[in-house]
Amino acid sequence: MIALSLALAYAGFTALSLAMERHHEQAHGHRRIPAGRRRLLRIAGWGLVAASPAPCIALAGWGDGSVLWCGLLTAALLPLALLLAYAPRVVAASAVVALPAAAVAALLGA
Amino acid sequence: MKEGFRQCMAWLHTWSGLLVGWILFAIFLTGTAAYLRPEITTWMRPELHATAAGPAAAQAALDHLQQVAPRSPSWFVNLPDARQPALQVLWREAAAGRRGFANAWLDPATGETLTARETRGGEFFYRFHFQLHYLNVPLARWIVSFCAMMMLVAIISGIVTHRRIFADFFTFRPGKGSRSWIDGHALVAVAALPYHLMITYTGLVTLMLMTMPWGAEKAYGGDRAAFTAEVFGTAPPGRAAGRPAPLTAVAPLLEAATRHWQGGSVGRIAVQHPGDANATILLTRDDAERISSNPQTLLFDGTTGALLASAGDTGGAAAATRGVMYGLHIGRFAGPLLRGLLLLSGLAGTVMVATGCLLWAVKIRQQALKRGRIGFGLRLVEHLNVAAIAGLPVAMAGFFWANRVLPPGLAGRAEWEIHLFFIAWAICLLHPLLRRGRQAWIDQFAAGGLMFALLPVVSLVTTERHLGVTLAAGDWAFAGFEFGLLAIGAALGAIAWRLARRRPAAAVAPQRRQPTARLAAGAAE
Repeated sequence: MIALSLALAYAGFTALSLAMERHHEQAHGHRRIPAGRRRLLRIAGWGLVAASPAPCIALAGWGDGSVLWCGLLTAALLPLALLLAYAPRVVAASAVVALPAAAVAALLGA
Repeated sequence: MKEGFRQCMAWLHTWSGLLVGWILFAIFLTGTAAYLRPEITTWMRPELHATAAGPAAAQAALDHLQQVAPRSPSWFVNLPDARQPALQVLWREAAAGRRGFANAWLDPATGETLTARETRGGEFFYRFHFQLHYLNVPLARWIVSFCAMMMLVAIISGIVTHRRIFADFFTFRPGKGSRSWIDGHALVAVAALPYHLMITYTGLVTLMLMTMPWGAEKAYGGDRAAFTAEVFGTAPPGRAAGRPAPLTAVAPLLEAATRHWQGGSVGRIAVQHPGDANATILLTRDDAERISSNPQTLLFDGTTGALLASAGDTGGAAAATRGVMYGLHIGRFAGPLLRGLLLLSGLAGTVMVATGCLLWAVKIRQQALKRGRIGFGLRLVEHLNVAAIAGLPVAMAGFFWANRVLPPGLAGRAEWEIHLFFIAWAICLLHPLLRRGRQAWIDQFAAGGLMFALLPVVSLVTTERHLGVTLAAGDWAFAGFEFGLLAIGAALGAIAWRLARRRPAAAVAPQRRQPTARLAAGAAE
C-alpha cells in the first residue's frame, strides 16, 4: 500500500517534470513539447500527486497517514531530481515501470 | 528602503543562516541520529542480548528491586519493547552517582542481573542535540532555542528569496560551481520543506516552557509543581506512612492498564515508598503507540492495587496540541517505515544546512578572487566549515570507537566516551591549520569514512557479537546497524574520493596569474 503511494507521487512528479521544457530536453533531447502532450502530462501529473495520499490515509488514518505522505513526497522527489541530473533517459521509463509494480505489490498485500 | 523586499529577505536568509549554521549542522545531524537512539544504545551495549520478554518481566524487576533496594524511596522499571529489548531498573539511592540514581540491567526472562559496559549510548546524541555538553543546561538550551529560532527565520526568508520555487522544483545541475551548490541547497530544502518547518517549529515548542514560561506562571501563580501535575499527570508523591506493608502483585495492574487503554501497553513503572502502607504504583503507557507525547498514566494504591487516578486520557486543546507537536518532533510513534522517512528528511535538513554554510564561502571566495585578496572572515568560515561538516562525523565515529576500545572497568567510562568524541572533534578543528583548503576536506572525510567502515572490524576484535555471529544467528537489528555503519563509511569515503579526483576548474583556467590560481585551489569546490 505504501509502495503504491510512493509510486503515485513519483509518477506524478515525473509527469509534471516532463511537462517542463528544461526537463523534457534532458529526457528527450529537445525542448519543444507538443501542446497536447504537455496538457496531458500536467493533468496526469497533478492527478497522480493528488491521488498519492489516498493509500497512506487508508492504511494509517488521517494523522499518521498525512505525516507518512509528507515523508513519501520527499522520498519521491529526491531520487527523481538525481535521475534527471545523472540519468535523464531512464526517467520516463522508471515512472512507467514504478506504477504497475507498486499496484501489483499492493494487490499482493505487501 | 531602496532594496526590494526580496533582497532584504535574501540578506536575512544569508546572515541568519551563517550566524548559527555550524551549531545547526551539529543539532541536525545528532538529532537525526537520535531517531535511532534505542538502536545506537543497543549496539553500544553488545552484552545485552535480545530475549523474548514475557509478562513476568515486570514482576521479576520488582522482585529484584525488593532484594537490592528495599529501603529506597522510589523505584523505576523501564519495560523492554521491540526496539530496546533490555529490562532496566533504577532506584533512588543517596550514595549513587549520577543524579542520585543507581541502575541495573536484568534478563527479562529470568530476572538475573546482566553486566553491560557503562555508556550513555544514543542518549548522548539525543541530549547533545538540545542541550549540547559541558555547558550548564539552561544556558545550552537557550543557545539551542536561539539557533532554532534563527533556523525558522532562515527557512521563511529562504522561501521568500527562492523566486523559482516551482520552476526549479526538480532542478539539480551538477558540475557547475556555485550554481550546483545553490541547486543542491534549494533541492533538499524544498524536497523536505514540510519536515524542515515541522521539525524547527516543534523543536521550539519542546523548549517553550523554558523560553516562554509567563503564561504558565501567570495561570498557576508561580506554582510550577501544580502546573506540571495538571499538564503531565505527574503529581508529587505523598508522604510515607512509616508502617510497613507488602507491595501488591503487579501483573493484575498491567492487565487493568491494558484494558483501560484499549490494548495499549505499559512502558514504565514507577513505585513510590515501596514496602510502606502508603506505597503507590504509577504505570505510564508506552509512548511508541500514539503521536502525542503527553503521557497517559494510571496511579494505583501500592498495597491494595486499587486504581487511585488516571491522567492523560483527555486533556485541554492546548495541552493536546503541544503533546502532538512534541510527539511529532521526537518521532517515537513512528514505525520502521516512517522512521526511515524521518531519517531521510533529517539527512536532507543536515545537507541543507551544510550546503548553506558552503554556499556563503563559495560566493565570498568568488568575490575575493576578483579582488585578489582573501579576508580573515572568509578564512574563518572556510575553516569552521571543515571542522563542523567533515569533523562531526569523525567525532561521532570517535565516540563509537571509544565504546569498543575503552576497557570495561574504567572509572567514568561513559564520560570518557564523550570526552573522546570532543577530543576527536577538537583535532578536526585544529587540523585545517596544518592542511589548507581542499586537502583538509579530503583528509577529514577520508578519516571519517575509514573510522566508520572499520567499526564492524573493531566489533569483531573486541566483542563476541560481531557480524560473523549476528548474521548466522539472524540478529538483524544488530547486523543491520553494522551494515549502516559500513554504508556511512562508504558514503564519506566516496565524498573524499570525489574531492580528491576532481580538481576545481577555476584552478586550471587562470594560469597566467599565479596568486589567483593558488587562491582558487583552496576553494571548497
